[in-house]
Amino acid sequence: MTRYIIERIIAMFITLFIIVTIAFCVVRMMPGSVYDNPELPQSVIDALEAKAHLNEPLLVQYGYFLKGVILEGDWGTSVKIEPSVPAFDVLVKRIPVTLEINIYSLLISLPLGIIFGTIAALRKNKLADHLISVMVVICISVPSFVFASLLQYVLAFKLELFPIVYESTAVGVQRFASMALPIMALAFGPIATVTRYLRGELVETVNSEFMTLAKTKGLNQVQATVRHAFRNSCLPLTNVIIPMFTNVLGGSLVIERIFSIPGVGGIMINSINANDHPLTIAVLIFYSLVSLLTILIVDLSYGIIDPRIRLEAK
Amino acid sequence: MAEKNDIILEVKDLHVSFKSYAGYVRAVRGVNFTLHKGETIAIVGESGSGKSVSVKTIMGILSKNAVIDSGEVLYDGMDLTKVDEKVFHTLRGKRIGLIFQDPLSALNPIMKIGKQITEVLILEQKMNKEDAKKKAIELMRAVGIPQPEVRFDQYPFQFSGGMRQRIVIAIALASDPEILICDEPTTALDVTVQSRILELINKIKEERNLSVIFITHDLGVVANMADRVYVMYAGKVVEFGESEEIFFEPAHPYTWALLSSMPDLETKDEKLMAIPGTPPNMVYPPKGDAFAARNQYAMQIDFEEEPPFFKISDTHYAATWLLHPDAPETPMPEQLSQRIKRMKEEG
Repeated sequence: MTRYIIERIIAMFITLFIIVTIAFCVVRMMPGSVYDNPELPQSVIDALEAKAHLNEPLLVQYGYFLKGVILEGDWGTSVKIEPSVPAFDVLVKRIPVTLEINIYSLLISLPLGIIFGTIAALRKNKLADHLISVMVVICISVPSFVFASLLQYVLAFKLELFPIVYESTAVGVQRFASMALPIMALAFGPIATVTRYLRGELVETVNSEFMTLAKTKGLNQVQATVRHAFRNSCLPLTNVIIPMFTNVLGGSLVIERIFSIPGVGGIMINSINANDHPLTIAVLIFYSLVSLLTILIVDLSYGIIDPRIRLEAK
Repeated sequence: MAEKNDIILEVKDLHVSFKSYAGYVRAVRGVNFTLHKGETIAIVGESGSGKSVSVKTIMGILSKNAVIDSGEVLYDGMDLTKVDEKVFHTLRGKRIGLIFQDPLSALNPIMKIGKQITEVLILEQKMNKEDAKKKAIELMRAVGIPQPEVRFDQYPFQFSGGMRQRIVIAIALASDPEILICDEPTTALDVTVQSRILELINKIKEERNLSVIFITHDLGVVANMADRVYVMYAGKVVEFGESEEIFFEPAHPYTWALLSSMPDLETKDEKLMAIPGTPPNMVYPPKGDAFAARNQYAMQIDFEEEPPFFKISDTHYAATWLLHPDAPETPMPEQLSQRIKRMKEEG
C-alpha cells in the first residue's frame, strides 16, 4: 500500500510538471505583453521586460520560472490585478470566502441529497420517486446562474428577504443572510447529483441477494436497509462526494460574479483579460494541484473504505 | 415415519402470479404440500416450475410485483399468506430459516463474516457482544469452518464458494429455526463441494431435529436427502410420494422424463434422454395437462382436461390420465425401467 501511494504521488508530480510546462508556454505565447501601458515610454517598458527576463528566449524564461517556484516558492508577482503582490498571496487571500460559502452549501446539500435519494429509492416508481426525479432533472439541467438570478430577483429584490449582493463587511446574522442566496444557488447542483446517484445505487442494493438474506435471517426492514443497503450504497458515493469537497476551492465564477463575492472564481478570467501572466500561471498551477490531489484522495479513499481493495492490496 | 398429526407446515392450493408487461404470469397454480416434523421433503422441477416462488411465499419475501391469488400457508395456527410484515418478522430466521442458491451474492461483500452472523443475535435476541461472538464461532465450527476465530474477522471475498455456503447455513441457523428451507443450495457450487454441503445439511438436520424443505432441479441430490418428494411442473405438483416410490415406481410421464434425463455411471452407450420442447409460457397456461405438448404419451384428453390426482399408494399420488382405469396400459420407457432395476440391485 505504501509503495502504491508513493508511486501515485510521483506520478502526480510528473503530471503536474507537464501541466505547468504546457500552461507556461501557452500563456507566454498569447499575444500582447504584460507591460503594454501606452503611457509608459518604450525605454521603461524595455527595462521592465528585461527585469522580468521577458527579453530572453522562452526556454530560459521557463528556467527562471521553475527556479523561482521550486527553490524559492516564488510563484511570480501579479502585475495588473494587484500590482507587486505575489501571485500566490493574491490567490490565498481570496480562498477563505469561497471556501466558507461552498462548505456551507455542501453541508446543506449532502444531507438533503442523501434524504431525497433514499426516499426515491425506497419509494421507487411511486409518486414521491417521480416528484424527486422531476426535481433532480430540473436541478441538473437548469444552469446555476438561472437559479442564482431567480433567487436574487424573487427573494432579494421582490420580497426583500435577503441582501441582493454579498456584504463582506457585515458581521453575525447579517453576514450569514448575505451569504444565504449564493449558498442556496450553489446547493441545487450537488443535491441533485447526490440524489440521483444514491437512488441508483440504493435501488440496486435493495434488490440484492444479501438484502434478502438480511431479511430472512430476522432483521426488520429498517435494520436491513440501514445496515446492509445504505452502507453499501454510500461506498460508491464517495466517488462523487470527495470531488465536491475539493472542488469548493475552485469557487464558482458565475455565482461569485452575480453576488459580487470577492472569491477565487473570477480571478482566472480577470487575469487572462488583463494580460497578468504570472497570476494566470499561478492560478493554473493551483487548480491543477487541487484536481490532482482530488483524484489521488478518491483513489486512496477507495482502498481505505472498501475492504476488498484494502486487503487485496496488502 | 410421518404421522398425520405432526404436520408442521401445510401449503394448500396456493396460487401466485406476477404482474408483467405481457400480463399475469401464473407462476404457481394450485400447489399443495405438507411438511411433517423432522422430515425432509424435496420439491423437484425444472427452472420456472414455481418451486422457488412457493418457498418465497412461505418466507414472505416475494418481490413486489407478486400477487398471492388464493390458497393458504398454514403454520403454527396462522395463515402466512394473510399475516402482515410484523408477524413475518417474528418468524423469519427465528422459526423458519432459508439457505440461498448463490452463496457468492448472498453475503454482504463489505461486512465482516462474524458481524453478519452476530448482527441478528445482538439486534433481535439482545445478546451482548461476547456471547454473540461465542455463539457465532460455535456455529462456524458446527458448519465445518476451520479456524473460526480467525475467519470471524474476515470478509466474504476471502472465502471460497463452499465456505461461503457454510457461512450462509451458519447464519440461517443462528436463531435456531425449526424449519430450514434450502433453495437449490448446491447449484452454484462445484460437484465435489456439493456433496459435502449436502452431508452438512443432513448432519445439522439430525442434530437439531429440523424439518427441511429442499428445493432442487437435480434428482440425484434428492435421493440422499429427502423422505418424500414433490415433482412440480408449470406451477403445479404433478406427482408426489415417498422417495423410493418416486425413484422406483414413477408414474407421471414428466417424472419419467426427469429421471431419464439424469446421467448415471452406466450411461455410457445409451443416449441421454432430453425432454423435448420448452416449458409453457405461463402468461397463457395451457388447457389440460401442462406437460401434454412435450409428452410422447399424451392422449387426446391430456389436451382438453386437467388430470386429477390418482392414488397409487397411501403416500404416492400422480396427476396423469395414464392412471385412469380407461387409459391404455402404458409402461415407463424401457431405458428407465432398466436403470431402475439396476438401481434396485445396487440398493
